Amino acid sequence: METETKLDRNTMPALGKPSKIDIIHAVESKLPNGIPVYSVNGGTQDVVKIELIFPAGTRQQNMPLIADTTNAMLEEGTTKHNSEEIASLLDYYGAFLETSAHHDYASVALYSLGKHFSKVLPVLEELVKLPSFPDQELDVYLTNRKQRFLVEEKKVRVVAARNFPALLFGDNHPYGHATKMEEYDAVKKEKLAAFHKGHYSSNGCTIIVAGKIKDAVVNALSDNFGKDDWKGNVESNGKAVTIESSSEKKHYIPKDKALQSAIRMGRMLFLKNHEDAIPFQILNVILGGYFGSRLMSNIREDKGYTYGISSGVVFLKEAGYFQIASEVGSDVCDKALVEIYKEMDRLCTEPVPAAELQLVKNYLRGNVLRSMDGPFALAERFKQVWMHGLDYSYYEKYINTLAEITSAQLKDIACKYLQKDSIYELVVGNKKV
Amino acid sequence: MIQFERFTLANGLKVIVHRDTSTPMACVNVLYNVGARDEDPERTGFAHLFEHLMFGGSINIPDFDNVLQQAGGENNAFTNNDITNYYLSLPASNIEVAFWLESDRMLSLAFSDKSLEVQRSVVIEEYKQSYLNQPYGDVWLELPKLAYKVHPYLWPTIGKEIDHIKHAVMGDVRAFFQKFYCPNNAILAVSGNVTVEQVKALCEKWFAPIPPGNPPMRKLPVEPKQTQARKLELERDVPVDAIYKAYHMGARMDQSFYAMELLADILTDGNASRMYVELVKNKKLFSEIGAFTLESFDPGLFIISGKLSEGVTLEVADEAIQEELKKIVLAQVKKEEMEKAKNKTESSLIFSEMSILNKAMNLAIFEVLGNAEDVNKETERFTKVTEVDLLVEASRVINENNCSTLYYRSKSKVNGN
Repeated sequence: METETKLDRNTMPALGKPSKIDIIHAVESKLPNGIPVYSVNGGTQDVVKIELIFPAGTRQQNMPLIADTTNAMLEEGTTKHNSEEIASLLDYYGAFLETSAHHDYASVALYSLGKHFSKVLPVLEELVKLPSFPDQELDVYLTNRKQRFLVEEKKVRVVAARNFPALLFGDNHPYGHATKMEEYDAVKKEKLAAFHKGHYSSNGCTIIVAGKIKDAVVNALSDNFGKDDWKGNVESNGKAVTIESSSEKKHYIPKDKALQSAIRMGRMLFLKNHEDAIPFQILNVILGGYFGSRLMSNIREDKGYTYGISSGVVFLKEAGYFQIASEVGSDVCDKALVEIYKEMDRLCTEPVPAAELQLVKNYLRGNVLRSMDGPFALAERFKQVWMHGLDYSYYEKYINTLAEITSAQLKDIACKYLQKDSIYELVVGNKKV
Repeated sequence: MIQFERFTLANGLKVIVHRDTSTPMACVNVLYNVGARDEDPERTGFAHLFEHLMFGGSINIPDFDNVLQQAGGENNAFTNNDITNYYLSLPASNIEVAFWLESDRMLSLAFSDKSLEVQRSVVIEEYKQSYLNQPYGDVWLELPKLAYKVHPYLWPTIGKEIDHIKHAVMGDVRAFFQKFYCPNNAILAVSGNVTVEQVKALCEKWFAPIPPGNPPMRKLPVEPKQTQARKLELERDVPVDAIYKAYHMGARMDQSFYAMELLADILTDGNASRMYVELVKNKKLFSEIGAFTLESFDPGLFIISGKLSEGVTLEVADEAIQEELKKIVLAQVKKEEMEKAKNKTESSLIFSEMSILNKAMNLAIFEVLGNAEDVNKETERFTKVTEVDLLVEASRVINENNCSTLYYRSKSKVNGN
């Protein structure tokens, strides 16, 4: 075919000019009672997401499971409506609730069509202000959670994920604590009510709204959350706990007959505002942060030891850490570990080749665009800097660092943080094959 | 509402374009009309293994991912019983790279021995990770086999057994590519910050030169009507007993599908759903319960699965499910229940259209099901279902003689510790 002979299929088409990345900022305003509201207005669909954030995470609790359970029980009944009625009200308008408790905060989010927003917002108000933690619901919740806990304990991946942070932080630290079955039995209604009173009030609340934000949305927010009827004394963090990293680096939790073993490796890092935070994240991508990463290329695409392997950086308010996660055939677990250490060592000893670095830079630039696509994504980007006391200049710094970082700088960072003897290792599975 | 334009190239490739200028990104979705149902019963798992091989280098481009990442892109793919679907997203300014990549692997693969060898191992690890090393993982190997006797839905996408994957050879790979990976067996959907003219020109340049193939006409055995209740009991090392009930139902594009989707919602979606309130909250027979359809293109399954509460027997749990289902076939669901289920569904559809990737994928899927325009008729099809329709459809489906029941027993419970 004539066209075929003319067409050059061996050369990559020229890349377009990297488009300037416009970061749409959240706009700050305040409700009459002082609650800060950050809004990202945009998108093609008439939808709204509102997220209420409270200082009510595990860092703020004084005993295990209280933050999680308080948060999950909000939708299980109020002084005015029971759990079924609450769900019916939201279902009727096609609205969805998303509750989650994290280490540093807890959140209650509501997704709604724009046209129904003012009708479902009072439901959100009620469950945030007037939860009743009914006995029957709490009992069902805890019983079923215990069952799920038992099922999850059968998964090597889950056991590894639960136990690895304890190696870095110690089991007493809320960032490191691995839940135990019997802890569910100590959860009592009074504890939840007290935790709610101390942590879910207007004083500590921050609101992030995203989507098509019309005047009606803003007015509804003031009506439902802007008054002084839910003021409280925000309690400070739970008791101060020191970080106690394990004295041993290598750990093994046997699971007989496991066909695959779960691997977690990593170490403590620094806070998100640390000068090495951005360079380390770029280094992490090269090691295990994308499909073409060194760990994926070696351990999956070259050796076929696993279906997937990845590494990541976790930034919390008071700490940061790095971890690698995979499930590998139990018969090749030792070989996989050798290769993982080899890849970390290679970053410490050999500079990243120019072509690979350029590829990662291009990939990450595309990723920045992707991660800021649409109002919900932009709201998340805002939250991820605000949470750490940073502002949008973080993203500018990220984009600049990405453009300027060199192989030599990355090698220095690797030498600083990826030395073999600084790495904690946890294997959950079967080493006896 | 997703606005789009459609055209077909001379070689038979169908192209759909959806323009969305609110984003700097573009998505390219290539759907091949081949899934696990098209496999030889003696060589199952091939469509999925093949999906892995599509990343092992094409005739002119040794490394798909490497190139895409240079262009700031990201991609993935999935295979199910019906189709194999590849999708990627990248800055719209680099859209031509996506056309170069996708057209080259449609033209021909590199057929590298190393890639085959490695991906066989990777898929075997995936098999272990998803089906063998997970509590309750093998349900999805066993339940379809019980429900289907002749239709290829009887084997799972990953394959009947690991040996089928182990024994795949290069000859099979080449033959599979020849048979199914041709422009007239594919649908290309492009969404995002692109114009129709731009996509047309890029299609002419990159895809038009690919010669058409001869994809086989699909002639799958029709599953005979089930006339007797089927039962299977398994005993495994899991902490709690579980039950699975699978009822034969209609195909994806039958109007009856929409009734069953709404029924699933009414039964188990959320804190106000019937089975959740009755069986989890009030009677405390289950710690979790779910009803869902498999959304398969050919006549599929309506499944109810539940994990039992401590001290409840499988027989009691089974009876309780049947009792709830009896209520559905004895009287129409309440108007409010129906309305809630419809509103939730409509709202989910609106939220899903926030993503240009979802839009491209759905356009391609509805096109292969018959007509991309149907993507915009989903809401109407759900709205149209009346309480009477639901009753009629449920009465046809909900019947023990149309059901395969799996009792999944906990070994530790059986041994009494």
